[in-house]
Amino acid sequence: MDNLGDKVLRKIKEECICPKPRWQFLLKDYFIWFLFLVSLILGSLAFCVALYVLSTNDWDLYQYLHTTLVGHILISIPYLWIIFLIIFVFIAYYNFKYTKSGYRHEAYFVVGLSVVGSLFLGAFLHTLGVGEKVEDFVAASVPVYEKIACCSARKDIWDQPANGLLGGTIMVVLDENNFELKDFSGKDWRVQEDDDTLEYEPLEIKEDEEVKIIGEKKQDFVFWAREIRPWKNKGEVRKAKVRINPDE
Amino acid sequence: MLDKDDCAEKTDEELVALTIENQDFFSCLIDRYSGKLTRYIMRISASTREDAEDLLQEVFVKAYRNINGFDQSLKFSSWIYRIAHNQVISQWRKLKSRPQVIKFEADEDFLKFIAADEDLALDTERKFEGEEVRELLEELDEKYREALVLKFIEGKDYKEISDILQKPLGTVATLINRAKKQMKKIIEEKGIEFQK
Repeated sequence: MDNLGDKVLRKIKEECICPKPRWQFLLKDYFIWFLFLVSLILGSLAFCVALYVLSTNDWDLYQYLHTTLVGHILISIPYLWIIFLIIFVFIAYYNFKYTKSGYRHEAYFVVGLSVVGSLFLGAFLHTLGVGEKVEDFVAASVPVYEKIACCSARKDIWDQPANGLLGGTIMVVLDENNFELKDFSGKDWRVQEDDDTLEYEPLEIKEDEEVKIIGEKKQDFVFWAREIRPWKNKGEVRKAKVRINPDE
Repeated sequence: MLDKDDCAEKTDEELVALTIENQDFFSCLIDRYSGKLTRYIMRISASTREDAEDLLQEVFVKAYRNINGFDQSLKFSSWIYRIAHNQVISQWRKLKSRPQVIKFEADEDFLKFIAADEDLALDTERKFEGEEVRELLEELDEKYREALVLKFIEGKDYKEISDILQKPLGTVATLINRAKKQMKKIIEEKGIEFQK
């Protein structure tokens, strides 16, 4: 009677079973590591955009939105990017567990590694300005993004002149204290400034510049500006006003 | 034809390397592990010897097919036990059922090992007799039972059990500790009498 060894060898020979080549195993290993790294990088990008959104949010806006600071903070958290970060951390975790020695590590270690890796890499990418580029790319590619983006980046927030918030594109610079603006719903406004108006770096009052204005609606389509901010990357208060009028 | 003496002096890892060159050497590995693995499969799956041997045949064919993927950082024994473990799990999935109760009639060794475990004896302040532990084992959760089989019968250390079950060392330690606790609880619930 055949022993098990003979049976197995006979089966191997009869069915022409061959060992899978080594490269297939290596390829599988590398592929899993590659997916792990991709997940880590995507998680970092999500975190880096979240950092960018948080760092450029207009935190003082709550007083115009009839909400509290806490309420404003809650609606200003970039949930979308944080959800992406969590998703990619877990995909990274899942891939790591399937690496050759992934099972040897406890779940908290692997999740911790993915989180710390994503946060460090994300913070580094943030310092390189990658967050802004990614957000611009997503905003340009996904039209719905602006509707679900964070508070002060949402255009509808800046379409409330009655509440003192107006945003849009400068069409014509009329003089030192007046320019024309087309708001995000296509209406034309005359914006007036005076000596008390604050402008923020790196804003330049020139055609095609997108701006956020905090002020007061004086009459139909006339808006007095207390503060004018660049649409993105608000800096310090500008000491001297900059006017670029192509007609001059 | 291969002379069995050709294998006697060789380590498992050397035989793996030789198998890649000449499949006949694989029979040496089969001879080395078929007895142990048959018993292991019977212990964890409640199979008959015939079913266990059929399953084991699949295990060895799978091992041969994947021999180039053998992880040199593992012991060959851990690797082949892992394949057997996975094959049993996959068989359960195929049948969509797992045995609720596993009989240990043929497993005097297992009972003896468990009975001799000092920690458990200390916990319960009693010395176990092999026969008396039989019904406890039948009631143990399957996940605990396999860890106990590997630890007490197969004589694997925590690192090997970790490699076989593909779980972290901490989880293996937890499984074994919980298995002991569950056994202790069953002892208390059943009011089983043990000889001191």
